[in-house]
Amino acid sequence: MRKIFIFIIFMVLFLNPIAEAHRLHVVYKISEVEIQAYYGGNIPCRDAKVKIYDANGLYLEGTTDKEGKFRFPPKVGVNTYKVVVEAVHMPGHKAEVTINLTKSVYTQETPLYQNIIAGFGYLIGLAGIAMVYLGWKKGKND
Amino acid sequence: MVHISDGILSFQVLAFGWIVTLLLIALTLWWSKRKGSIAEKIPKLSVVTAAFFVASLIHIPVGPTSVHLILNGLVGIMLGTLSYPAIFIGLILQAFLFGHGGVTVIGINAMDMGIPALIAYSIFRIRQSPLFGAIAGGVAVTLAVLLTAAVLLTLGESYVWVVRALIIYHIPIIVIESLIAASVVAFLSKVKPELLGGGK
Repeated sequence: MRKIFIFIIFMVLFLNPIAEAHRLHVVYKISEVEIQAYYGGNIPCRDAKVKIYDANGLYLEGTTDKEGKFRFPPKVGVNTYKVVVEAVHMPGHKAEVTINLTKSVYTQETPLYQNIIAGFGYLIGLAGIAMVYLGWKKGKND
Repeated sequence: MVHISDGILSFQVLAFGWIVTLLLIALTLWWSKRKGSIAEKIPKLSVVTAAFFVASLIHIPVGPTSVHLILNGLVGIMLGTLSYPAIFIGLILQAFLFGHGGVTVIGINAMDMGIPALIAYSIFRIRQSPLFGAIAGGVAVTLAVLLTAAVLLTLGESYVWVVRALIIYHIPIIVIESLIAASVVAFLSKVKPELLGGGK
């Protein structure tokens, strides 16, 4: 009788599914890489043709969704992909990026206002150079 | 969005674009010099080029995409023959700073926007009125789109339907730029008429 009792306790403690439920499982699956295509000013580039290349050539093809996003499953062990996006609604627009999966996010933008100021700077500089040159030429002719 | 990106056009088309653009720059500079000192026009040239440079940031959503201002007509009206070099410089800055259009394509893109600017100027010279300003502004965008379309058609028949879309999406821009050109002409002809055309 005592033996049976111990056996029951044993069963309850070790084989009970609730006890088993405390074992924590962690599994993983890397299912997708997300890319996004957009025009300057954050306007999504939708319905664009996307081509994904790995070291062996073309790997996948597809089109971007309404938000300009496209998702693809990466191959195990392959960390570098070249993504080429060609706009459909604005023909003549094409861009490419190389994805490195060891870096989680890729952006290459500097703030727009900096580029605008830079542009004005170049123009003022060019105007200055042109004026100096023309002034020098005028001085030589006088 | 008449700026074509890198890696789309063939080498021959790109080379053709650069040759025509460099020839037209030389020709327009020579012509402008003959008509008077370029030095005096440099301040106006810089300001108008700056306006052209940032105009491409003004987007208008149309259907599934968006288009931006080009302002090549206005550049033509204000700078005359100097509009071609101005657009060339503006495009270089747009390509490097905004990523609008490719670098190898600057020759072709300058043709697509610069030749219509020169045509806009010759339209505006017929009569310096807001109405002719509006026509010049609208025609410049229309021609820019048509030239871009023609360049894209060198890629083959499969581009025909996309080219049609390109034209349709630009109709709002054609209207807007006509209005901009007309109002600038109306304003400047009252305040400072010498700023219009190839003047100072």
